[in-house]
Amino acid sequence: MINENMTEQDVNEVMNSADTAEAAYTDNNTVDDPLDFDDDPLSATGVSRKSLVIFFLIDTSGSMKGKKMGELNTVMEELIPEIRKVGEADTEVKVAVLTFSTDVRWMYSAPIPIEEFEWARLRASGVTSLGAAFKELNARMSRNGFLNSPSLSFAPVIFLMTDGYPSDDYKAGLNELKNNSWYKFGLKAALGIGSEANDNVLAEFTGSADTVVHAYSGGQLAQMIKIIAVTSSQIGSKSMTLSDDTSHELGEEDVFAAKQKLLGQQIQELVNKAETDDVPFDTGW
Amino acid sequence: MTELEIGQEVELEFGGKAKVLSVIGSGGQGTVYLVRFNGQKWALKWYDIDKMKKPKEFLKNLRSNIADGPPDNKFLWPKYLTKEAEDGTFGYIMDLKPEGFDSFVDILNTYKLEIDPLTGHAVKRNVKFSSLTAMITAVINIVNSFRLLHRAGKSYQDLNDGGFFINVNTGAVLVCDCDNIAPDGSNFGIGGKPGYMAPEVVRGIAQPNVQTDKYSLAVVLFKLLFRGDPMEGEKVVRDVCLTESSELKHYGQNAVFVYDPNDASNRPVRGIHDNVIKFWRIYPDYIKDAFIRSFTTGISDPTKRIIENEWQKLFIRLRSEIIMCGCGRTNFASMFVQPDEKTFKCPKCGMEFATLGFSDRKYRMPLFLGCKFYECEIIPESEEFMKVAGELVENKLKAGVLGIKNCSDRKWRAKMPDGVFYDIAPGKGFPVWQGLEIDFGEIKAQI
Repeated sequence: MINENMTEQDVNEVMNSADTAEAAYTDNNTVDDPLDFDDDPLSATGVSRKSLVIFFLIDTSGSMKGKKMGELNTVMEELIPEIRKVGEADTEVKVAVLTFSTDVRWMYSAPIPIEEFEWARLRASGVTSLGAAFKELNARMSRNGFLNSPSLSFAPVIFLMTDGYPSDDYKAGLNELKNNSWYKFGLKAALGIGSEANDNVLAEFTGSADTVVHAYSGGQLAQMIKIIAVTSSQIGSKSMTLSDDTSHELGEEDVFAAKQKLLGQQIQELVNKAETDDVPFDTGW
Repeated sequence: MTELEIGQEVELEFGGKAKVLSVIGSGGQGTVYLVRFNGQKWALKWYDIDKMKKPKEFLKNLRSNIADGPPDNKFLWPKYLTKEAEDGTFGYIMDLKPEGFDSFVDILNTYKLEIDPLTGHAVKRNVKFSSLTAMITAVINIVNSFRLLHRAGKSYQDLNDGGFFINVNTGAVLVCDCDNIAPDGSNFGIGGKPGYMAPEVVRGIAQPNVQTDKYSLAVVLFKLLFRGDPMEGEKVVRDVCLTESSELKHYGQNAVFVYDPNDASNRPVRGIHDNVIKFWRIYPDYIKDAFIRSFTTGISDPTKRIIENEWQKLFIRLRSEIIMCGCGRTNFASMFVQPDEKTFKCPKCGMEFATLGFSDRKYRMPLFLGCKFYECEIIPESEEFMKVAGELVENKLKAGVLGIKNCSDRKWRAKMPDGVFYDIAPGKGFPVWQGLEIDFGEIKAQI
């Protein structure tokens, strides 16, 4: 069915860490001793929320130095409060940031809940090891790694930003990633920064051209990051909207990858609306 | 013009301009702004028509809703339309949410985030009902608003946790996001929120209507009382990742209630659904049975869903069965010991409570200092569930003597310890004693 990458052991872990409440139900007709548990009808914990992890894969190679990195750091700081609003009661949104240059590095050792997340400003140097980043993402994107919430998860949002052509064998890394079910069902989007970034490579990663956008200037960069991050986390934490056609019942094939398609449509609509009148990164030097 | 600028002025259809002061929030269909109009502050909802499927029909429906007015004052109803902008964008203004109301979302989370204006950091503040009576009153108010709406021939369409503000001290309810409300049978493109949508809407074989509203209402009530998702149990958690197809399965094609008596495949899981497990032990059977019906037979047969009037009666009963014991324990009568059919006893401190039996119902109302009953409980044709008719009070001149005060505007008759019935005028009272009988008119009651 889903999540081939998820082993039987993964599932058992969930189920073992948690007993089903059959006992509570069968007891129900006998008189419970009202004092053997906290029976205060007003004392509740928050409703169990589904978790959504947003992965940011960020190119910190030397070419990102200067305006691009400055712009990126600023917009990411501003973005956090906007994403905070997305989860509401149903979804606990967490953020994980993986940077790649000569080495790959996580900003924090585990995904951080959005309420507590603070952006650590990034610096740029080195080459563009995108393949290594894909491998590292694949390693952590598992039940034993970063996606270890005991309750239900939404498929993650994976947002890649880069300004150059990969300097390592990105295909090997991507092939590993493509076998990961979290990647398969995840919402993927990519942003190419400046004219060096290769949209074809990015489309290989997202699986379709309409979830790839390009920013040629600082203003655009900020705009695109916000559009992608907010839209994808909104779609990721909610889900399918209604079909107008009620003449036939929806099947699995109708809803397969529905969110990824919706993300592509919405990104394209928003990008077309966005204004493009400021100075490109590569001009005016 | 999908976004408005701060300071921008928006012309209203029937004259006047609303000046944009700040952003209040944004949703799937647009953004809500704080505006000044006619010297007063209002909320302005401004649509992103690109995200709407049928903007023209939507606007037409909004216009007729404004003309019809709200079913009652519990709705934050659209007041005035703006003029359409050149590109067809439009909006409407409505009253601001009054102070003292928290969103349903914050109540479910048990806290809300407040942004410290100086540091920009988010700080958690607890959000919790101050009394059990306030919580059950909120439930009655929610049910009643939808009853009134449906009686007006309209459906809410996308009933979900974003649709209410609640005063956690009084149980007062405000229904917001009223812009998708439409005559039953029409839909202007809104689908609903997963987890709240009726299975037939998830499956794509029906559009939102009054019957699907009833399903969503049951989900809202379940979430408020049991603090969990009625369809999320073991079966769903096993999927680990909620993809589009697992959602279609668990909320549409094969939705199984976590406490379906005939299907144990989806029971709540300890460690994840502790609230539901706990509260299922607390609520009395008649409440649990109503949810079982809603989420078993009511899944496949929309006509079997609980109607609002039935919910209203059940929760008016539940409110009358709350006991506040002198030792501080507050709970439903079903969580007290019953030494005989007319007495409840606190399992914690041993205090006993006499009960009042009414001629029109089988269940009895426990009596304790401060307990109240309402007009709809003593007058058969009355709908007044918030109007206090009587209260158990202590005699101001004779300390320790308890009696019932007539807070209604009708004359009652009560049997006094001398065996004679006396008239009890509004504002008067009578002692509670072993042989007490009360004649409210059509309804009689006795200890």
